[in-house]
Amino acid sequence: MKYIKSKFNLLILTILFISFIFLSCSKKPNNQIQITIWHQMRVDEREVLQRQLDRFMKLHPEISVNQIYKETEELRSGFIIAAIGGQGPEIVYGPQDQVGPFEIMNIILPLDTIFSNKFLNQFNEKGLIWSNNHLWMIADKLGNHLALVYNKKLVKNPPKTDKELIEIGKQITKDFNNDGKPEQYGLVWNYTEPFFFIPFLTGFGGWVFDEKNNPTLNSEAMIKGLKFIADLRDKYKIIPGEADYDIADVLFKEGKAGMIINGDWSWASYGKAGIDYGIAPLPLIEETGLYAAPMISGKGYSINANVNPEKLPAIKLLLEFLLAPEQQLETAKELNTFPTHKSVYNDPFIKENEILINSQRQIELGKPMPIISEMRAVWDAMRPYYQAVLGGAMKPEIAAQKMQEEAVKKIQEMNEDVSSTYAELIFILTFTIGLIVVLFLSRKTILAFIKDLSRNSFAYYLVLPAFIVMILVIIYPFVYNIVLSFSNMNLRHINDWSIIGFNQYIKVFSEPIFYTVFLKTIIWTVVNVFFHVTIGVALAILLNRKIPGKTIFRTLLILPWAIPQYIVALTWRGMFNYEYGAINIILTKYLSLPPVEWLKSPLEAFIAVIITNVWLGFPFMMVIALGALQSIPNELYEAAEIEGANWFQKLRKITIPLIKPVMIPAITLGIIWTFNNLNVVWLVSNAGEPSDQTHILVSYVYKAAFNLYRYGYAAAFSMIIFLILLVMSLTFLKRTRATESVY
Amino acid sequence: MKESKLINWIIFVFLIFFTLATIYPVINVFTVSLRPGDKLLSTSLEIIPENATFESYVKLFTETDFLKWLFNSTFISFVVTLTGVSLASTAGYSLSRFKFIGKKSAMLGLMVTQMFPATMLLLPMYIMLMKLGLLNSYLGIVIVYSSTALPFCVWQMKGYYDTIPFSLEEAARIDGCTRWQAFYKIILPLASPALVITALFSFMSAWSEYIVAAQILQDRNLYTLPIGLKSFQSNLTTEWGLYAAASLIVSIPVVILFIVLSRYLVSGLTLGSVKE
Repeated sequence: MKYIKSKFNLLILTILFISFIFLSCSKKPNNQIQITIWHQMRVDEREVLQRQLDRFMKLHPEISVNQIYKETEELRSGFIIAAIGGQGPEIVYGPQDQVGPFEIMNIILPLDTIFSNKFLNQFNEKGLIWSNNHLWMIADKLGNHLALVYNKKLVKNPPKTDKELIEIGKQITKDFNNDGKPEQYGLVWNYTEPFFFIPFLTGFGGWVFDEKNNPTLNSEAMIKGLKFIADLRDKYKIIPGEADYDIADVLFKEGKAGMIINGDWSWASYGKAGIDYGIAPLPLIEETGLYAAPMISGKGYSINANVNPEKLPAIKLLLEFLLAPEQQLETAKELNTFPTHKSVYNDPFIKENEILINSQRQIELGKPMPIISEMRAVWDAMRPYYQAVLGGAMKPEIAAQKMQEEAVKKIQEMNEDVSSTYAELIFILTFTIGLIVVLFLSRKTILAFIKDLSRNSFAYYLVLPAFIVMILVIIYPFVYNIVLSFSNMNLRHINDWSIIGFNQYIKVFSEPIFYTVFLKTIIWTVVNVFFHVTIGVALAILLNRKIPGKTIFRTLLILPWAIPQYIVALTWRGMFNYEYGAINIILTKYLSLPPVEWLKSPLEAFIAVIITNVWLGFPFMMVIALGALQSIPNELYEAAEIEGANWFQKLRKITIPLIKPVMIPAITLGIIWTFNNLNVVWLVSNAGEPSDQTHILVSYVYKAAFNLYRYGYAAAFSMIIFLILLVMSLTFLKRTRATESVY
Repeated sequence: MKESKLINWIIFVFLIFFTLATIYPVINVFTVSLRPGDKLLSTSLEIIPENATFESYVKLFTETDFLKWLFNSTFISFVVTLTGVSLASTAGYSLSRFKFIGKKSAMLGLMVTQMFPATMLLLPMYIMLMKLGLLNSYLGIVIVYSSTALPFCVWQMKGYYDTIPFSLEEAARIDGCTRWQAFYKIILPLASPALVITALFSFMSAWSEYIVAAQILQDRNLYTLPIGLKSFQSNLTTEWGLYAAASLIVSIPVVILFIVLSRYLVSGLTLGSVKE
């Protein structure tokens, strides 16, 4: 016991020591001007940027620049959050389409007021992103475009037309071992994402918007484009049956595909993987005489609207440095990207490099990506129906029509402008009256509580520290969300949002999809928690016996909990692949069962996600059950054995009742966490694939609301999720009487 | 006895089978870490890939800030674990042993905080921490992590205390212990399996959290492992080799912690102490 006591004292001392560290390590003030850049650059790009920044800081020791990487989506949402809070980095760097929402939300500065015309005239027009008569971004790279990459070992001359593409594709697609399944494909690419479909839409003469920025998805070109891709797979059989980005990428890297359609970000990695590759513009579609044109986007710098005016000269200096010809040329040489500074175009490197020449040809044939925020709605509308066509669940004609309807609806939702003059007043009034009523009704309890406070002070002292920490972090965000859920906060009303009443709630309940997703969430939760608990408890009981190598088993079995979810979830996704995944290989080779199209059909995909999550979740329950089993004194079992109880009777009468007090809270929280588990669904099903059929409520709200900046709607939706969970857990807790002690 | 030997063998074989199924994906991650050329997937099923290389591991330690992230994460997780264990062991005890007004609502209150989808809390939490001047600081992140881990920890401790008979403290009180002494001399040691779970859980919730950290920590010197790991990937081009290697190394401290703690997980202290 002494041992434990000294440990406890040590613990308290450590806490004091650590709080001391916290208090003493405040930052030293310095007079340097700090500039932060958020970007979404790849690793090789980051290295070049850092070199350039180092040179800049050497030239200007009074300025210190800090570059921070964020993933594209996170950069966008993170910058919006920070900028709403009046903070954030001085400079954001990213693709030109992020300008759309930023401009509407007023969180970036118009650059034409900062830079002179003379400076701006040095750049390629495509690199200057104007909108509503103001300049919002200056790009240093052009492109981000798809092109045809070919393996020179397999393809001597890249195809110029679609007919040639099919011809060459047929020649290369080969079934070496005659099992009816080719080992080498003519062409691969990520055909789950609409971005990779755009060249086929444009090749048949279509585009996503008309001049007035209305979506134009229900077109002949769309139908023909969709049919063309389906034919490549089913009629000409030159592309694999199933390919997402990673599959396409690995097939090409392993030399098992002659051609791949991929963007300029990927080209260098093919060289690194040992492929002798060439770049060619995407082919001409003979039927229309048009080139398959990818979307072209610049990537460049914008300035945060919250920036301190005193810092502007330093920021200007930095951007002028980063955009200067020397830096652009260095970047181009290192990364094979296409610069925007016109003076660089005459450099022999740009003029003679084979990759850059073809890249430039593709850029000239491409179409600039629209920067308007409606583009997000178009992507979201295209994705599910595009996937449905490729999964064979929908005809191209119907898909085109549905895409259009969906896009129109989403754009309308995104730009919705509801306001109400009285709602705010009514809201505040109801809220205050409600609060007073609650206080009045609970006055006896409150008085009794205050009395109890002095009588039971020991009990309260023990609980208090935990509750202070909790309240500190939870209350404010929670109340904020309730308020938000009654508001019209969205893309158009970021800083000037107002209370509009129950509108958002009504909208959630009026969507029929809400109910189907809700049902799926229930199934998801029940199945998951059931397997987590049964597998976890069963293993714990087994591991509680005398078994050789017990420690090794125990340690190996917690691995799924210990390894970062992201990587294992993606590994599982790979294991579910139709042709190359381990699971189908086991099914077909060792069990002689037919392979399953795990990720292509909604039900199987849902099962795949559940299997992954069961795998990820059981170790946690196992560890808890292991702990709980320790609270059972051996004597109870011994006594039971003397009475002649069998194994099952002991389990039912001793083990289960005695681990219940520990397991019930774990199960309740398990239900809550599983219900709200966004990660696994998102990663394994690749954000709800196929066709948004594998969503649970949280992933659905995440995609439906945040992609389109509908913050009020998302808040209301989350409140509803919250209320559902509240009711469910209360019922569960009441049934199991977890708040009461057993003794 | 013969029969029980047979049962033990069956159990043994079952465990081996189950463990193999469990670690297969982990082995897969290991394979990715050995692959040259940053491939997440492969068309072959070999565990040791062609041209296998430890380059990723070398690069991880020599060319990235991995050790710095490791240090930051260890420090933060350690503080969160201490906070979680100490606050939960006391609060859980109070909730298990005493009857007081507001107890039930307190317990439900703890549970309720877990019900809100975490992504929704990001904006208000950011604004709040900004107003408190806690952005970009360890203190801010420790407070957030502690509060997210606490509800489970408190409930877990409470549940475990519930299984320890009241009579033990009564005996201690009769022997002259104060209430506090009865708690930490008698009950706390008995609850060591629960303390282990609480510690492990607090540690894990801080060790692997990404979303909040990414929003709050903006100084690269403060980065934790998950943020660092995320920087190996960018849209569509990920350094899978590095990422997989790092993921495996990241899990080692957790495994070590588990092995060290599992001594206490199997306490056997209750043996003989309960005489109902």
